[in-house]
Parts: sequence; structure tokens; C-alpha cells
Amino acid sequence: MTDVRPDLTPLLGDDLGALAGTHPADTGRAVTGLTADLARASLALARRFAAGGTLWCASPSWSFHAHHVAVEFVHPVIMGKRALPAVVVPSGTDLVATLRATVRPGDMVVAVADAHDDDVVDAMRRGPAWGVETVWLGAGPRPGAGAADHVLWLDTDDPLVASEQFVRIYHLLWELTHVCFEHTGLLTPPACDEEVCITCSDEGRLAEVISVDDLGEALVRTAEGRERIDVSLIDSPRAGDLVLVHAGSAIGSLEDRP
Amino acid sequence: MTTESTAFLYPFIEGDERDAESLLTDLATSAEAKWDQSERLRQATLDRCHDQIATVAADMARRFEAGGQLFAFGNGGSATDADDVAQLFTRPPWGQALPARSLATDHAVLTALSNDIGFDVVFSRQLEAHGRASDIAVALSTSGNSENLLKAFAQAARIGMLTVGISGYDGGRMAASAALEHCLVVRSDSVHRIQETQAALVHALWAALQSELDTEHRIDRPEGAP
Repeated sequence: MTDVRPDLTPLLGDDLGALAGTHPADTGRAVTGLTADLARASLALARRFAAGGTLWCASPSWSFHAHHVAVEFVHPVIMGKRALPAVVVPSGTDLVATLRATVRPGDMVVAVADAHDDDVVDAMRRGPAWGVETVWLGAGPRPGAGAADHVLWLDTDDPLVASEQFVRIYHLLWELTHVCFEHTGLLTPPACDEEVCITCSDEGRLAEVISVDDLGEALVRTAEGRERIDVSLIDSPRAGDLVLVHAGSAIGSLEDRP
Repeated sequence: MTTESTAFLYPFIEGDERDAESLLTDLATSAEAKWDQSERLRQATLDRCHDQIATVAADMARRFEAGGQLFAFGNGGSATDADDVAQLFTRPPWGQALPARSLATDHAVLTALSNDIGFDVVFSRQLEAHGRASDIAVALSTSGNSENLLKAFAQAARIGMLTVGISGYDGGRMAASAALEHCLVVRSDSVHRIQETQAALVHALWAALQSELDTEHRIDRPEGAP
């Protein structure tokens, strides 16, 4: 944003300055789980930014939140902090189609949306196939387990309280991401030294079908790029389907079609 | 140029740091402290501004009853807050929908004015085109010093609009300007914490306005009215 007066408060442990008449509050306890989730999401974002990733911001119902997140990262309120690539996915466009066309492996997607926002549900579940890290901010009933890499969730059912707290969450996401940048040794994920690990092996990688041919093969997109796989083991695969790939074959479909 | 240093807080600031767990713990602790601080600032500000919010809400209700509409504007993150205002008033979670819009959304208008005249007139020129005496101008700024907001308030005052500023720090130039009838100030010097509480002020103002309309001066719109 363009109010570029320097933030006078240090990033950690700032006091309340000129604030008069403060009230005792115990809200810190209630957000313990959330702040631990925020910490992990911030480190993940810092690692992706450090590796050249772009942050895609979406909020189909509250586009102002998506714009606020993006401007926060691109033009920080604290002078001297680096500008980071963050982009709004415009509301009113097909979220999945737009992201599919534009995201690159290594990117990040942050969404501010309710758990029942079908477009966000669909975009988030495609994250592993696109090679993007997903962060989902919301309130009320939670999305299902594993709906996104990072689920930052509020318990409140009050839409106005939720909206205010979303601002807090993404401000903190920005602040903590920048703290992580000071820990250069942690910006590269630890090397995988297990004998067999899920990430390094060919164990059930998620892929999105790009096209299917008549020979029982399909061109798919995974976090590693495009590849041709055998799809003869699954029923009627279609473009856009998510499938699990193992050793060059689709061994299952995530689509639940009758 | 101000940069913070948090290096003193961490034992491993060099590139050979490998254990993320202690950093994650520190980050979560820091986030909890900031959350708590934001919550206290929010509550203290809402308490301090309680009477002022009621006064502004009553003034706004009179304008809406007279057929006025609300224009919201700001720069950067505050532009998104202006969009929030417009969405809340027109598509509320409860209560009456009211005519409001953000002056920060039309990229054709914003770029035309910036290119042809200057960024300082992007809001004032729009008020010149759209504003009427019964209307309301609401602008948000964390510093209270943005030139284009002050110009827009001067224009709004000339038209006879109700002028409401939402500011931070000590209120800045907005709090001192004669063109502003009301200025709600979040007394903090952290831009993020100011914005978080400004969002709460907007919501409190909106809720006070809704109860003002509900209890005393409910607008009975004719069936099928726009």
C-alpha cells in the first residue's frame, strides 16, 4: 500500500505505544493452533519465494481480501522489505481455468473462502498436480482434512469478525514470511536422506489429465511437468480429471463419477 | 529507510541453520503476541470511539434517508478497505442494502486521471462527476496524509457531502482538515495494526448505522424501487 510511513514498531515484541486504556485480553490462548499453522505456512511461503515462486491470491466472494494480500507482498508497508511477486486472480473469472493456465510448479496459491466454495475446493485439490503450495484462509465449518497444504481456520460464525481476523492473519503471514527470510539456512528444504520416501519415489503422485488418446494413454500434468501415462486401468478418464500415477500408469482416479 | 533487525533474537542467523522447529516456535509465539496486541487495540479503539461512531452513524442515516449514496476510497491496502465498505453496504450479511461504491476499482478512470492530470485528483475528480449534496464520502488512510484523499475531501465539502475519514497514528492531516466533518483515528504507529482496527471501525459504524435505520428511521422503499 502507499502509506509509506515506516512502521515504528519492531517486528517482534512491539508494545502498544501511545495506546491508552488497554483491556486485559486472553485471546492469545484461543489462537494457539492457528498461530502454529501460520508459522508453518510462512516458512513454506518463504521457501517458495526464495526459489522464485509466485503467490496467486484468490477470494471469489471477497475480492478485496485477495487484493489486500497481493498488495501486501508486492508493496510492503515497511520500507526496505523486498517486493515479492504476488498476483490477484480476478473474481468473476473461472478460478480453476485461470490458475491452470498461469501457475507454474513452485508457485503458491492463497485463497480466502468458506469451506463450501466449490471453485476453491477444486483449485486447492489440484495443487499437488500443478506443483503449487496451497494456503486456505476461512471461517466456520472447516474443509475436509488435507483440503489444502495449509488450512488457517477461524472458529467464528460472525462474517464481520471473520473478515477482520482474515486481515490479521494475512498481515501476520506477510510479517512471519519476512522473518523467515532472515534465516537463510532454513530457506532450502532439508535434503531427503531416507532410503525410500514418498516425495522422491514414484508413490502415487497426483496428476491432472490434459488429454486422452485412443490407445489407452493420456498426457498428464504433474508437479514435475508433462508426461505420457497409461490410463487403461481406470474408467473413462477425461481431460481435467485428477489421477494417481505410479510407475507410468494411472492406478486410480480421484473423480467420483457415477 | 527503516528495517528491523530480529537477528539478536535468534542463535543461528547464518546460512548453516538447519533446525526449523525453534524458528517455528518463535514465529508462533510472536504471532500470538501480535494477535493479542491487535485484539486489545481493536477493543480500546471501539471503546474510545463509541460515542463518535454513534454520531457518525446518525449523520450517515440522515444522508441515506435523503436519497444519498456513499463513496469510499483509499490507496493500496486502504483501497481494498474501500472495496470492503462498498461490498458491506450493498451486499450486507443482514440489514438493509444501501447504495455505496468504491472509487478505487475502475482502472480506466484511475489510469485516465493519473495519466492526464495526476494521481492527486483520482478521487476528487470522480466526486466532481458523481457527488451530490446528499452523498457521503468515506476515506481510509493509515497515515491520514494522502494528498489525493485530502483533495477529494475538499471537493466533497464544496459539494456539501458528509465527510468521514478513518485514519491512524495521530490522525495526520485528515484529522486537522476543516473539510472533514468526522475523523475516526486508530491511535497506533503500526500500519498493519491500524488497518486491522480500521476494518473493525468500519464494521462498527455499519452496524450502528443499521440499527439507526432499523429503530427510528427505517426507509420504506416502495415495492420494486431500485
